[in-house]
Order: sequence, then structure tokens, then C-alpha cells
Amino acid sequence: MNNEAWLAERTFHHSNFWDIKWLVEEKQRQGLTISLCLPTYNEEKTIGKEIVILKSELRDRYPLLDEIAVIDSGSSDRTLEIAASFGADTYLAEEQLTECGNHRGKGENLWKALYLLKGDIIVYVDSDINNIHPRFVYGLIGPLIKDPEIHYVKAFYDRPLAFSGGLRPTGGGRVTEILTRPMFSLFYPELTSILQPLSGEYAGRRSILEQIPFPVGYGVETAMLIDIYEKLGMSAFAQTDLDTRHHRNQETIALGRMSFGILRTMFNRLTRAQRANFQEELPKIMRQFNVQNGEFEQVEYFIEEIERPPIIEIDAYMQKFHPELQAAGP
Amino acid sequence: MKERSAVLPDNETSDAIHPVVEHIADLPDALLPLREEVLANLAMLAQIPAPTGEEAARVRYILDRFVATGLPEAGADEKGNAVGFLPGKTGRRTVMLVAHLDTLIPKEADHNVFVQADRLVGAGVSDNSLGVAVMSMLPRCLDELGIQLDSNLQLIGSVGSLQRGDHEGLRFFLDHAQRKIDFGLVLEGIELGRLNTFSIGTVRADIVCDVRPEHERGYGADSALIVLNQIINRILKISIPTRPFTKIRLGQIKAGALYNIEPNHGELGLEVVSDSNEMIDRIIGEIEDIVTESSARNAIDLKLDCFFRREPGGIPFAHPLVKCVVNVMSQLRLQPDQSHRPSELSEFVAHGIPAVTLGITTGETHIRRPDFVMIDPILKGVAQIIGVLLEIDRGACDEQ
Repeated sequence: MNNEAWLAERTFHHSNFWDIKWLVEEKQRQGLTISLCLPTYNEEKTIGKEIVILKSELRDRYPLLDEIAVIDSGSSDRTLEIAASFGADTYLAEEQLTECGNHRGKGENLWKALYLLKGDIIVYVDSDINNIHPRFVYGLIGPLIKDPEIHYVKAFYDRPLAFSGGLRPTGGGRVTEILTRPMFSLFYPELTSILQPLSGEYAGRRSILEQIPFPVGYGVETAMLIDIYEKLGMSAFAQTDLDTRHHRNQETIALGRMSFGILRTMFNRLTRAQRANFQEELPKIMRQFNVQNGEFEQVEYFIEEIERPPIIEIDAYMQKFHPELQAAGP
Repeated sequence: MKERSAVLPDNETSDAIHPVVEHIADLPDALLPLREEVLANLAMLAQIPAPTGEEAARVRYILDRFVATGLPEAGADEKGNAVGFLPGKTGRRTVMLVAHLDTLIPKEADHNVFVQADRLVGAGVSDNSLGVAVMSMLPRCLDELGIQLDSNLQLIGSVGSLQRGDHEGLRFFLDHAQRKIDFGLVLEGIELGRLNTFSIGTVRADIVCDVRPEHERGYGADSALIVLNQIINRILKISIPTRPFTKIRLGQIKAGALYNIEPNHGELGLEVVSDSNEMIDRIIGEIEDIVTESSARNAIDLKLDCFFRREPGGIPFAHPLVKCVVNVMSQLRLQPDQSHRPSELSEFVAHGIPAVTLGITTGETHIRRPDFVMIDPILKGVAQIIGVLLEIDRGACDEQ
């Protein structure tokens, strides 16, 4: 399947899946369970609405979701309290799989979600979406229910950036356009068809997610795409247009640190595949500068980009999800 | 439809007001499984802008909810109201529940809603997104409780209610209703305990002033702002009696855009309210004289546009509907507040239909910053509406 054919066949719009009742019937017919994971860190402003709307529409009215869980990185605000009060299961990431240690980052929460949640399909949705709507979930689940050949679905948007003057009608995806797409064009040209590779909303089958490593930090979205691509090829992917997404905009300087993490994740994969070779280990320090009263000050950020192994390598996971394989031994 | 509810055990036969509801006080707990659904409905609805005259998107949303709930009749009427109909078992009575869809919030304002631990915050959530959300969910609530009413429910999300809309949506529906409406319940987001049974006579008017542009004005001629100021001063001198209750409210003034240019157009919005029609007529007559005289004396274009008129009236405290509402409120430990607040109740009054206006929760309404509604009392507010429906359904609100 070339890029054009893939785009034509595997690019959906959320409205293709408006019939939630059909999705529920088909899910039940296929014997699937579906879990929603909301990774959080200080999201008290938006988490309540996300849970209320998604639980009401996709669990209470139409039982498309079997569970809704918030996995938190140690919020200092009321995120967990609010989430629990509206009926979500809540977990503090550092208290889960403690035998594996703890690292703070979104990827850590997503990785531990595979152990904590029971679904055959896991839907990941960021917790900072102001205009949350059920389409953010059913738009991603739809292709997986419709086509068993699809293993992973990515969201894309026309993303207005929130700023003080209201809403700018288009934009966003700066890191995508400046870093990820050029890198994909160089090393993974087929993946350039994924219109927003860094979007925070995606859904995948457990059967593939359990087989790939998860970077703990900024690189988790990029790593998922590359690793699933290397295992299953483009035919495993689909993408869904979810229209607009209103969210907080990050400062350019923060995107610089994000880019550093993504670059490290990509280089890890290129060296793993022996497509790139560095004589020395790449540094883990990102340097940025502040200026005050005409004086420049260097600020160093330690960005390690730790990766969690495929979760099927974890005993506790295998005991819970594949006891038959574990009993059979290596 | 569910067969039974948890409110009354299956083997119970009692003198309850309905076969599945023994105590109205138990209803809020029985509605608990629907809490997130009510909040979600409110949040999604409130995020759809609906200034008066531009309610179409909200109408579509409400009609989708009606259809999803399984209402056999759901559609927009000629005026654009969202109309749903749930037939009762016998259809002996028809109760109309209405909530206005339009808001005072401009379309381009931020309509984002925040769900906090104890409240929902957002533009227009109290006035009147909550009323609409609850109205649209009543069939779902009755279903959850296992209640099938004998009475028909006529559900209306009304358009064109506010400002110069002049309740045009509801008035049109009542003027052209195909079924006899026996009772009306007007739902407003706040305040819980609100019990409006009468409507004060009201006239709303705009005084529109147009003078020649500044560079064409003769020496000493006044700008529209100054002319309106002179008119305000004269209106303030109109004598107002203590009884019957009468008041002139000068509510809006619009004129000018720049510091350095005197405006040649201005508008003054005012309201005259009174328990007496004669008093309203007298005051409006005096204002008309002021406007006509000022127009002639200053050789300017001044018009008085009375675009809204409501007759005073309503049902007395002794009416069985009021007694039943008070009784339901008492069972839910609510203190009725019967002070007057304007609502679409006046349309029911004008059509001779016994009706009350009820609030659903506590909270605050604001114009320049987002409203909020408290989450906890909402289910009590919904229980109150269902309690009143049950009382109507068993004939307790019928006049002897």
C-alpha cells in the first residue's frame, strides 16, 4: 500500500462512527473489552469535564467503554479527588508495579495502564482537552472495531491554539512540522502519512501495545509509531480526524526540551536498527538560555528518556494476562 | 422502559403517590446513577452558543437527545422550538415543561465549561443551560425510576425568549398547540426553592434617538447621549405610587464608540412593571409624551418602541398546584421562595394555564463573567420536578 492508497483507505473522520449503538453491538459480538486511560499531572481544571462527559456518554448511556481510569504522576492539585468523585478509577503511577521501580512521565503512566486496565483495546486520551467530546474516544475505537487488520489508530486535528486573545483558527503541531516530519521523511517515509504523529490521543490493541517498549517521557508517541511500524508495517495503522481540539499551548522553549527527548528516542531506534552509528554516547543534557539585565544564563535540563521494556517482559503482567504462557515457561 | 425502580420494594403496596415512589424524599438518591449524565448533558449543552435568534445548534442537540431517549415525537416547530412529546398511559392530562434555549451570551464569547469538584462553571450554565438539560432528560429520569405517567409530557426547548425575543417561541407554541395543555412547569437553572406563581404586568420599551452628525449640527445642538440624558432626568420625575407596586427600570443605554466624537445615535432600554395595568398605561403614556415633546422641541428623530407587554396575573397561593409544589418542596426540605422573578410563566398566565416556575439548584448568574451552578443540589431539583409531575398525575393539582 503506497502513501496515497494508505491515506485514502485508512484516514477516517469521527462522523464515520457516529452510530455508537452499532459500535457497542459490534464490540459485544466480537467479545472485546475496551478501556480508557487518562494520564494526568495537575489537570484539575479539565479532568472533571472529561470524565463526566466520557463516562456519561460512552459508559452509562452506551456501554462502549468497560472502564475509565486516571493514572496520575503525583499531582499536587485535586486531580485525583475530582476524578474519583465523578466515578473514574484512580491510580497513582508510583504505587503500581513497584517491583519495577518508578519514573515520572506520561509514558510511565501509559505503560503501567497496560497492567492496570483490562481492555483488549486501550484508548489513551490526554487530560488537558477543553472541548472534550465523545468523538475523541469513539472516533479512535471505530476503526479498530470495523477492521480487525487495524491495530493502532491515531488522532489528528485542525488544532487551534489557545491564547490570550481567544482562539486562533489554525496552527499547532510545531514540533511535528519542524522536527518529526523531517525526521520521518529521512528515515521512515511511510510514517509521514500519519498527519499528527505527536497527538496525545490514540487507541491500540493490547496485543501490539504489550510488545513494544515505552519511553517514559517525551518520546512515547514517536516510539509507538516507529515500533509498531517495524513490527507490523503501515497496514496496522489508521488515523481519524477529530475536528478541533482546544488545549493549552506550550511555550516554544518547552517544545525545545520535548524535541530533545523525541530526537533521543529516534536516535535510539536508528542505532538499534544499525541505521545510524554514534562513536560516543549521546549527551542527556539539553542546554537553554535565559537573559536578565543583559546577562545570559545557561540552564541545563537533564532529559534521560528512559524506556520501559515491552510489558510482556514483566512477570506480574504475564501472570495477570498470559498465565498459560507463563506456566508453559520459556 | 424499566419495570420497577429501587424507590419502592417490589412487594410493597402502600398509599404512596405512585406505585413505584413511596417517598419523594428518596428520589434524589434514586436518581444518583444519572448524576454524571445530567452533568455531561449540561456541560455539552452549555458549550453550544445560543444567543437569541441563533439557537439552531442547541435545538439540534436537544432533538438528538429526545430521539435517543426514544420519544415518539421529536422535531422543531415552525418557530424553531425544540419540541418533544412523551405520551402518557391514559393521556388524561398534558403537562408542558419548558426551558428557554437562548442566552444573553454573545456567540463569540468563551463557552468553555469547567467541571469542578462541587460546581460547574461556564457562560450561561445557570440561565438557562441547566433548565434545558434537565428538561431534555426528564423522560430518561422517569425511565430510570421506572415511572410511567398517565399524563402526557409536552417538552419544549423554547427559542426567542430573552430581550426583544419577547417569549416568541413559547407564545407561538401555546397559540398553536394541537393538544390542550393542562399544566405548565417553567424550568430555570437557579435558585432551588424558587416558586413563581404569578407574573407582574410588564412593558419593555426602547427609546431610540437619532440626531444629525456632529459636523452638521447647529451651534448648541445636543448629541444623542445628552438628549437621552435629558429624557432620563424627565422619566425620573414621573410620580410612582407605593401601592399598587410599580417601578420604572432604566436597564440599558447604548451610545457612542469613541472618546472624541459625540454620538448621533443612542438607545435607552427601559421596563415598567406594576401589579396594575392602569398604572402601566399611565406611565407609558407619560413617557410617550416626554419622547414626543423632546423630539419636536429639538427637531430630532426620537421614537418609543414598546416591544413587549405582559398582563399581570397568575394562580393564587390556594391553587392546588401551588399547594402540591409546596408539599413536594417540604418533603425535600426545601424552603419555597415566592418572590417575583421574570420568566416565561407570563405566557402560561396569558393563556389561562395553571403554571409555576421552578429552580433546579443553587448558584450565581453573571453577565460579564461565567455563571456557576452547584452540583450537589441538582438531583434534589430534579426530584422536585418529578414529585410535582407525580402530584399532577394523580389529580392532586386539579381544581375542584
